[in-house]
Amino acid sequence: MRRLAAACLASQVLYGVLFGAVLDRPLSHGFLAQQIEARLARAGAIGSPKLVILAGSNGAYSHRCETIEPIVGLPCVNGGIAVGIGLDYLFARWQAVLRPGDVVYLPMEEAQYVRSRALTEMGPDAAIMLRHDRATLATLPQRWAGACFAFDLRALLMSLIERALVAGGFHDPRAAVTGRSNDWGDHVGHTPALGAASQAVLATMAPEHPPPAQIRDGYGTTLINGFLRWAGAHGVHAIGGLPTGFADSPIPEDEAAAIRAVYAANGAGFLDLPNRSRYPRSAFFDTPDHLSELWQIAHSEALAVRLKPALERSAETARTE
Amino acid sequence: MLFNAPIFVLGFLPVCLAGYFLAGKLGGGRSALIWLACASAVFYAWWDPRFVPLLAGSVAANYAIGQRILRLAGGGQVRPARRWLTVGVAANLGLLGWFKYADLLLGSLAPGATPLGIVLPLGISFFTFQQIMFLVDSAQGERADAGLLPYVCFVTFFPHLIAGPIVRPREILPQFMAPRIAIPHADNLSAGLTIFLLGLAKKLVLADSFAPLADVGFNAAAHGETLTLIEAWYAVLAYALQIYFDFSGYSDMAIGLARMLNVRFPLNFDSPYQARDISDFWQRWHITLSRFLRDYLYIPLGGSRCGTMRRTGNLMATMLLGGLWHGAGWCFVLWGGLHGVYLVVHHATRRAGLRMPGGRALTLLAVIVAWVPFRAATMDATLAMLRGMAGLNGVALPQMIIGAIPSLAAIATPVPVLRFLGDARTLSFPEASALLVLGWGIVLLLPNVHAFSERARSLAIVGGFAFTLQALFFAPKVAPFLYFQF
Repeated sequence: MRRLAAACLASQVLYGVLFGAVLDRPLSHGFLAQQIEARLARAGAIGSPKLVILAGSNGAYSHRCETIEPIVGLPCVNGGIAVGIGLDYLFARWQAVLRPGDVVYLPMEEAQYVRSRALTEMGPDAAIMLRHDRATLATLPQRWAGACFAFDLRALLMSLIERALVAGGFHDPRAAVTGRSNDWGDHVGHTPALGAASQAVLATMAPEHPPPAQIRDGYGTTLINGFLRWAGAHGVHAIGGLPTGFADSPIPEDEAAAIRAVYAANGAGFLDLPNRSRYPRSAFFDTPDHLSELWQIAHSEALAVRLKPALERSAETARTE
Repeated sequence: MLFNAPIFVLGFLPVCLAGYFLAGKLGGGRSALIWLACASAVFYAWWDPRFVPLLAGSVAANYAIGQRILRLAGGGQVRPARRWLTVGVAANLGLLGWFKYADLLLGSLAPGATPLGIVLPLGISFFTFQQIMFLVDSAQGERADAGLLPYVCFVTFFPHLIAGPIVRPREILPQFMAPRIAIPHADNLSAGLTIFLLGLAKKLVLADSFAPLADVGFNAAAHGETLTLIEAWYAVLAYALQIYFDFSGYSDMAIGLARMLNVRFPLNFDSPYQARDISDFWQRWHITLSRFLRDYLYIPLGGSRCGTMRRTGNLMATMLLGGLWHGAGWCFVLWGGLHGVYLVVHHATRRAGLRMPGGRALTLLAVIVAWVPFRAATMDATLAMLRGMAGLNGVALPQMIIGAIPSLAAIATPVPVLRFLGDARTLSFPEASALLVLGWGIVLLLPNVHAFSERARSLAIVGGFAFTLQALFFAPKVAPFLYFQF
């Protein structure tokens, strides 16, 4: 029994050393971390007031600060990265750069509201925090255990593969396949030509819409509530929105009402576009969260025109206060 | 309750062990067996308490019939004993047939009829076979009169109640009758816990890593999608590993749990993918089911004693029924039929003195191909998967691979990502490849955990324990054991 206990202990020590100090995933987690840091750096550099778009990849692929900024007359940062990034981590990082008078637009994906705590705790941000951002991890005690145990067998293999690829001078094909990020944090270059390979998949894809009860009670909703309360208390104007999606698969009205209610309950605004952010399937790049570039620009123009009055009201309120 | 659930590992198991040994110390072996029977009932009821009376009724009825058969056979009344045996076996098969096959029969006889929607009681396939063995062994005088309590424990013993191993009465009943059954043995506790942890690692760390790879491909086939060569093969190779690690992991956990309680179970898996031929495979895969089918079906049918034609028929009947036992679906019958054909061909070539070239590789290939109908949701999905494996839908490879090895462009179409390979990300291909190399390396190059030396077991614990803890407590979802559905 002593031998067994020693082996178990050795296993834990080895796991801690390997994942806490040795192994890393430069191509996947490193890429995400670099994306997050670049956006935060721009937000820090442009001062306030500013417009920040926060969501998963719907933010980056379907919204374009480069287009919105000149229309609303406010510097803009696109903070959308990926649904897998924990909202608690995302909000913790952005709270550090948001100032009174700033406006945050949140076209959160439906999946964000209902994402479970277990999934949130095992997201890529857990590994990013443990290896590269322990300062933020220290501020999120609810994530400590998960961050220490966020690595499974696939994580081990991928760490080895990614390190080997980097060491071997691997040429990352993602930019050539899906596009790249611009200075605003927008995803650009995801042209219909590049998206052609995904059209067959998009044609048959059946998006799922969570029931209103799940939206109301979701762990993601709890985190969004917390952020909206924080924003209200710190003079940051939060505005909710609907994510993009297929026109033939609209968000059911009761679900949309539940989403709106999340923002209304916390004193935040909500912006509905006339088309409820729905577009034909041919407008999308590879998923219902990702408009292809031309439609991203069109969506952003339509959004900016309606955001502008809200931003002016916000600025007026801030001046009055 | 699942062996891989925190409530089992941290709650049920320690309480069960402590209560068992305490009851043994205070009240002797009989008290410990009462505790064990109660704990097993709780274990079973955790899934659905409605079926506990069914289990209890089945145990009581079989015990009564078994005792009657034993008395009649012992008194030389062979015919009445046989009649009771027939009644008992028919009742067991009738119960199993109702719960497991009524909807299949209805759907086959009256296509379009509304399914009966019968819920399959957990473990019914296993505890039915256990009790058929008990009745047959009673008629053949191959068991002692153990009494009701050891019999209850023999059937309901939680380590094997819901997914085996299928153990013979004469292997287990004497152990439950041993006077020192409930005295703790440090060696048994240590070895049992080690085997349990290694089985848990097989399930949580290995099987559950291959499951998503297999699911993506087979689900795509079920939805009528077109799988290319790599996507189809990766899904099937992943499933072959998933089902091996899942079921052998479960069996190891059962063996380890039983060992902790001072009960020895027979081996259920012995590196089956290292088999020399298909006959050898069936002596290594789900060994206790193979034994059951051989001793209680194939041999009573006449086995190999009645000429080549009859032997072939017996073999096919045994394998087809073995396939049907796994599930009420024609895909399972096809799986059993394929293995029947493999065995018939194997015996024919052996009789003819022929030696199959590349026996091991050919056996492995045949077994892997047979997993396709076993896993596929429908016959159409089976065909879709086989078409992909045959390359009839073409060969596609990620652009990054063809970029690195341009000569591959001659045989493969470059695509951004393989849609039905893992998460369909840029790096899914190297990830899946590495996983498969690791998994197949383990099953083809290493002995099974029961053949490991102490040192090798310790090293395996060092390699797997932390990942097991990670999966046990932090994995976002718990995947049930594959064999629970059978």
